[in-house]
Amino acid sequence: MPDIEKLRSEFLDLEFDRTGFVIEADRSVNVAAAFGETRTEFIDPSHPNFQACLPILASLASGRRLPIDFPSLGGISMDGGKAVSSLAPVRCGVPLTGRTHLHDIYAKSGRSGTMVFLVSRMQLYDDAGNHLASTDSRQVIREKPA
Amino acid sequence: MTVQVLSDVEFGMDLPDVEPDTSLEATRRFAEAVGYSGGGRFEDHGKARAQGLPGALAPGIMGMGLLTKVIHEWAPKGTIKQIDTVFRAPMLADHEHIVSAVVTDIDEDKNEVILDLSIKNKQNETRVFGTATVTLPGS
Repeated sequence: MPDIEKLRSEFLDLEFDRTGFVIEADRSVNVAAAFGETRTEFIDPSHPNFQACLPILASLASGRRLPIDFPSLGGISMDGGKAVSSLAPVRCGVPLTGRTHLHDIYAKSGRSGTMVFLVSRMQLYDDAGNHLASTDSRQVIREKPA
Repeated sequence: MTVQVLSDVEFGMDLPDVEPDTSLEATRRFAEAVGYSGGGRFEDHGKARAQGLPGALAPGIMGMGLLTKVIHEWAPKGTIKQIDTVFRAPMLADHEHIVSAVVTDIDEDKNEVILDLSIKNKQNETRVFGTATVTLPGS
């Protein structure tokens, strides 16, 4: 079991990645159509409020998943979930910058052993520095069975 | 049933259940659109099983998409301010699923509604659960 408090004190809230993105309109439309979205602002690029759909924001991947000096925790890593907080519409075809930090580290113990949760938060900004959205990726590391 | 404004929403009301298309064709189409295809786990049962999976899966964020679709159809004038999805277990392609949501809180000061969300299979096993905060016009 890693020292969770030590990891938190050493790694939380420190930006470890900065990656540029441009979300193409066609790609966002195709993703939205693929899950059956019907709202026109997500599937019609000619709509005056056309914007990227939330799942495509959740799909944006930082250049690194964890800080370069983050220790290996062993275990079995799984995608535990995703979250998106929308502050303003994210437009397609414009440069975006994703700044990523570890937002939370915690552990849970249960019948199947201990699981460590690493929550990476990417904050998306436009070129003017406006914070448009945040996405959380929850990585779960489960103890290997003895 | 849809809601247009906050006063249409009642505490505890259920959104209409939806049985989404989680066929292999649908998971393949979503994986290709989002850029996750190629490895076979979302597109081919045989290739997925060769990777130790029980079969081809729906990408986790496809579940987020299915939930956003249900919210958008329920509240055509609503805006999803926040959605958090926990991937509790894989959604298997070619298995039937039910998307459900229920209103758990209403904040009249902020014009916000809180929803509990879930996607279950036909065995009533939760695959994805989460919460969403939706803003609605006040009147």
